[in-house]
Amino acid sequence: MRSALFALMLMICSASAATAQNLQPILQSHATEVTNPSRGSVGEALDAITGSGLPQATAFLEQWSEKNIWQRDDGVFFIGVAEDETLALTDVDTRATSTAPKTDFKQLKPNGGVRRLIGTALVQFQLIDPDLTRRETAVASIARRPEAAQLAPLLASIDAETDPALRARKIQLANFLSARFADDPTSRIAAINSLAIDTSVESRAVLNQILTVKSDVTRAQPEGNIAVIHDPMDAPYAYYTTLVDASLAPAKQTAADIKRALEANIVDGRIAGFPLTQMSDPDTRKTAYAALAADGLVPVLITDELRNAALNDHVFYDLYDEPNADITAAAQAALGSVTSRVAAAQVADLTLDALSLASIFFLAAIGLAITFGVMGVINMAHGEFIMMGAYTGYVVQLFVPNYTASLIIALPLAFAVTFGAGVVMERLVIRRLYHRPLETLLATFGISIALQQIAKNIFGTQARPLTSPDWLAGAWVFNDVIQISYIRIAIFVLALMFLGLIIYILKRTRLGLEVRAVTQNPGMASSMGIDPDRINMMTFGLGSGIAGIAGVAIGLYAKVTSEMGSDYIVQSFMTVVVGGVGNVWGTLAGATMIGFGQKGIEWLNPSNTLAAQTYMILFVILFIQFRPKGIVALKGRAAGD
Amino acid sequence: MQNTFIAKNPSVLWFLLGLSLFTVIVSICSEAAGTALISTSFLKTLGKTLCLCLVAVAMDVVWGYCGILSLGHFAFFGIGGYAMGMWLMYDRTKDIVVASLENNILPATMDEITDAIGAQIFGVVGSFDFPLIWAFSHSLTLQLLAVILVPGLLALVFGWLAFRSRVAGVYLSILTQAMTLALSLYFFQNDTGLRGNNGLSGLQNIPGLETVSQATLSLWFFWASAVALAAGYLLFAWMTSGKFGSVVRAIRDNEARVRFLGYHVESYKLCIFTTTAMVAGVAGALYYPQAGIINPAEIAPMASIYLAVWVAIGGRGRLYGAVIGAAVVSLMSSWFTGGSAPDINLGIYVVQWTDWWLMLLGLTFVAVTLFFPKGIGGLFDLIPRKGDRR
Amino acid sequence: MSTLLEVSGISVSFDGFKAINNLSIQIAEPELRAIIGPNGAGKTTFMDIVTGKTKPDEGYVIWGEKSVSLLGMSESQIAQAGIGRKFQKPTVFEAQTVRENITMALKNPRRPFDLLFNKAAANTEDRVRAISDDIGLTDALDLVSGALSHGQKQWLEIGMLLAQDPRLLLVDEPAAGMSAVEREQTTDILVRAAKTRAVVVVEHDMDFIRRLNCKVTVLHQGSVLAEGSLDHVTQNRDVIDVYLGR
Repeated sequence: MRSALFALMLMICSASAATAQNLQPILQSHATEVTNPSRGSVGEALDAITGSGLPQATAFLEQWSEKNIWQRDDGVFFIGVAEDETLALTDVDTRATSTAPKTDFKQLKPNGGVRRLIGTALVQFQLIDPDLTRRETAVASIARRPEAAQLAPLLASIDAETDPALRARKIQLANFLSARFADDPTSRIAAINSLAIDTSVESRAVLNQILTVKSDVTRAQPEGNIAVIHDPMDAPYAYYTTLVDASLAPAKQTAADIKRALEANIVDGRIAGFPLTQMSDPDTRKTAYAALAADGLVPVLITDELRNAALNDHVFYDLYDEPNADITAAAQAALGSVTSRVAAAQVADLTLDALSLASIFFLAAIGLAITFGVMGVINMAHGEFIMMGAYTGYVVQLFVPNYTASLIIALPLAFAVTFGAGVVMERLVIRRLYHRPLETLLATFGISIALQQIAKNIFGTQARPLTSPDWLAGAWVFNDVIQISYIRIAIFVLALMFLGLIIYILKRTRLGLEVRAVTQNPGMASSMGIDPDRINMMTFGLGSGIAGIAGVAIGLYAKVTSEMGSDYIVQSFMTVVVGGVGNVWGTLAGATMIGFGQKGIEWLNPSNTLAAQTYMILFVILFIQFRPKGIVALKGRAAGD
Repeated sequence: MQNTFIAKNPSVLWFLLGLSLFTVIVSICSEAAGTALISTSFLKTLGKTLCLCLVAVAMDVVWGYCGILSLGHFAFFGIGGYAMGMWLMYDRTKDIVVASLENNILPATMDEITDAIGAQIFGVVGSFDFPLIWAFSHSLTLQLLAVILVPGLLALVFGWLAFRSRVAGVYLSILTQAMTLALSLYFFQNDTGLRGNNGLSGLQNIPGLETVSQATLSLWFFWASAVALAAGYLLFAWMTSGKFGSVVRAIRDNEARVRFLGYHVESYKLCIFTTTAMVAGVAGALYYPQAGIINPAEIAPMASIYLAVWVAIGGRGRLYGAVIGAAVVSLMSSWFTGGSAPDINLGIYVVQWTDWWLMLLGLTFVAVTLFFPKGIGGLFDLIPRKGDRR
Repeated sequence: MSTLLEVSGISVSFDGFKAINNLSIQIAEPELRAIIGPNGAGKTTFMDIVTGKTKPDEGYVIWGEKSVSLLGMSESQIAQAGIGRKFQKPTVFEAQTVRENITMALKNPRRPFDLLFNKAAANTEDRVRAISDDIGLTDALDLVSGALSHGQKQWLEIGMLLAQDPRLLLVDEPAAGMSAVEREQTTDILVRAAKTRAVVVVEHDMDFIRRLNCKVTVLHQGSVLAEGSLDHVTQNRDVIDVYLGR
């Protein structure tokens, strides 16, 4: 008997052990909750499924949530994919596959609320899934929709996490969740305090969520975790509107309301005894309205005094959603610290922006600095050389589809094209006009008109794209505040390269020596066997060629149009003049000043780039009053005054 | 005095005679005179051309005589136009608003009228309030003063700053161009209160003269432009002759030398720069009612450079040269770009002048600068004159 | 003879090069003074400082009975105070007639509105004629000055200086490029002018200086090397060293 009993017990045990290996029996025991789940009832089934600790539970929950679970007429659950009238079935435990006609099965369609609960239950599995991608997906889904229930499994999964990046992310996310959902205030405050050094947008969002307030108005002293009590006199109009919206005061009549009320009370061509013709005087209107109000025909006029009295009778306040004042105080402090860190980061970001703007100005102006500074020739067509360079890049891309290769071809080709154009222009026009700077200015302007029109006739008026290769797309992200696109970095590097190259050419090469000799004393230079005509031609070609390369660089981040040159010409001249003519370092200083100045003004008034440009030009005009020779001024006789 | 002045400058007399003759002929041919040999729109073009001639004469004085290549005089022209346009637009809108409020049961108060005008004018830039810049727009007298004073003051301040620090030559040109760019950017902003890039429109309708037909109105404006041109020409001919003119031309040729002669060069430059700016403002004030619309694109740096182009092609350093240049180039420009010029069929390519005119102008301009620095006006030197002193 | 111009202890340097080094010179009224010196001695820079074109780094420039400092004044103010200057290269306004050139230089009110609205002084024509007689250009009064010979341009410029009626004339190489006859006439004009005012002549040509027969100041490396009659300075050891090389 005892042995029989023992044998029975053993049987039951082994049976229950066998049951524990399979999901199907658990599902069968909660069949009702599984087939017809509601947000209230499904919890039990989910607990049973997750509590089993079976590896196949994850797959089942995922498929359930995706509406891929089918129930056979006999009640058995399968994972199934419908193909026309047949189902491809997978056993929930053995993963054995089979097919069957669709008519014998019923699809389980859990609603959104249930699917969210399934998802939450899933997360704890996914968080410890051996597959890194799945773990990352789980973490991302928590970050997308943080919930209190996710905190515990997330915390539990941190210790076992092997991937260092994901581990850091999990800790960060756990912090966010603790700050908002942890049970005891101490751990929430601790989590909040740890956010004070995190400048990410997410962290700021968490803090702001803790600090959400509801504005309200009351007659009595307000209660609860009060964020702030407002002085209604700061914006009486807006606060009175609040009061009216809360039905605590009658609406204040507008001029139009008064007019309508008066019109509604015309009796025999008169209003309250006043003839209509007098109604063009606003004072008479007021008097008439007051008379009507006295007769009870219209509501009493809410004057400013009445309004202010009503406002002063009420307390306008913001109430935190979070009842615990310690927590809101901690969040407030953390947010303050984050804000100042963000401000510092913004300054750094602005500096990067300004630097990249400065390098664009430098690139656009450096060619001009050579022709204007070294030769004293003013070239209004310089902007059009920039345009020619950009169009060269565009044409090359038409023939060479690989963007990297086309860029490598376009840069020297643009240099060659504009170098050639510069040399031709120097020989045909500039040479005849040396020592007549105003005429040079005008003649080159004529060329600029002609070149623009030719470009318009060839390429049309719409903007042409100059696409950058993939490795230049995207941005270098330092954190959520500081980031800079690779193109701008490339332009910065290009500008630095040019600075080096030009200084090298001018200071270290034979050409540079001859250029400087011709600049300082053309007569003496030519008597020493230097051909000034050739030097001038080369210098002009060099300046133009650099404009061509600048054109390719500018075209990569701005649009290529026939008018793009004129966008840069004035700024380029400003850069050269502000920096100090005849000096590469001066151009660098000028570009830096104008770049930083413009970004600085934009920062003060971010909505208006036109205004930033306007004020920058005014600043430059004033600057030239005080340093007519620019930042880096040549002194004495060399300045040629 | 006047007699000797005319006697010393026979070209002034010839110019005035020519202008009068032209005005009389155009008047006879106009629609208002009944002959209708000249359409009203062409009459407007002629009137506008006279205004352009006036601003070109001013440009010639500042550049051809004083040697300051200003790339900002068309901006002064535009400011004059805006100052005039503000009154035109305000007063015309006020007439419309008052008429529309006429049917109201209650007569409108001043505030209601002002608000309605504001909504009408500034609705297009999403605003209703009158900006401060419109403070005088209700008064024709004040706005007419602004036509002269605003460009004058701007030129005075800018010129004083620039000349004081001895900015000259191409530097000054670039600085004036920067000023023009800043101005046009400023006018482009909605915040400025001048309707941003919409500009001012409907300026061809003159308040109080609704009953007068456009044909007659155009003729009146044509006459006004002719009178203004004649007056401006006389003013500048008087200024550039005699000892003052002698000093101004000397400044153009050798500024430092004039300084060592004891002349305060900056005052002379400032005097010329400011006077020409004011005349440019007057020209603009007459031009835009004939054009009907003004927007910030009109005062972009390009426009001022075209002004220099006209003067250079016409021949700088002689007032009639500027008139010829402005008239010829602007009329040709509207002929070519208006599509009336016949296309040239080259077999493989059809040259359409609307596309190629600017290129032709640009290259012509280069050629003039290189080979004919005296411009069209230089042709008059070929006419032998009796008693020619030079 | 009272001191008209007192330059004391001025120095000026361009990019480290000392063009003028602690220079002191006094000019009396009336006086004819010649300044000589090798190239780069600072002759032209000295004139630049007196006329206000260049500001010295240190030192004083005192003018007239009232002892006004010229350093704070602009070029045109200095010119109006009575200092006239003739440049090395003749700079007359070549596009204008001789008459216009002289009229412009005549001592008259010089503000823009004076020129525009005031009637020309009645004796203008007489004064122009007197000057043109002095420089021998009366027949050329209505010629464009660009059409004049090089020597005539030099005279015209001297004439314009005289028309300014300055108390001090600074004349930079008046005889450069002139023929022997022209030189003689130029000497006469200068000597005549120096009877009533101070005239400072910078010149290389020793014969020309000799003919002027006046006190000579020798400049070298931006300061005064010797001063006295021409015979006196030509016998000075230092001067001989500078001119002939050591």
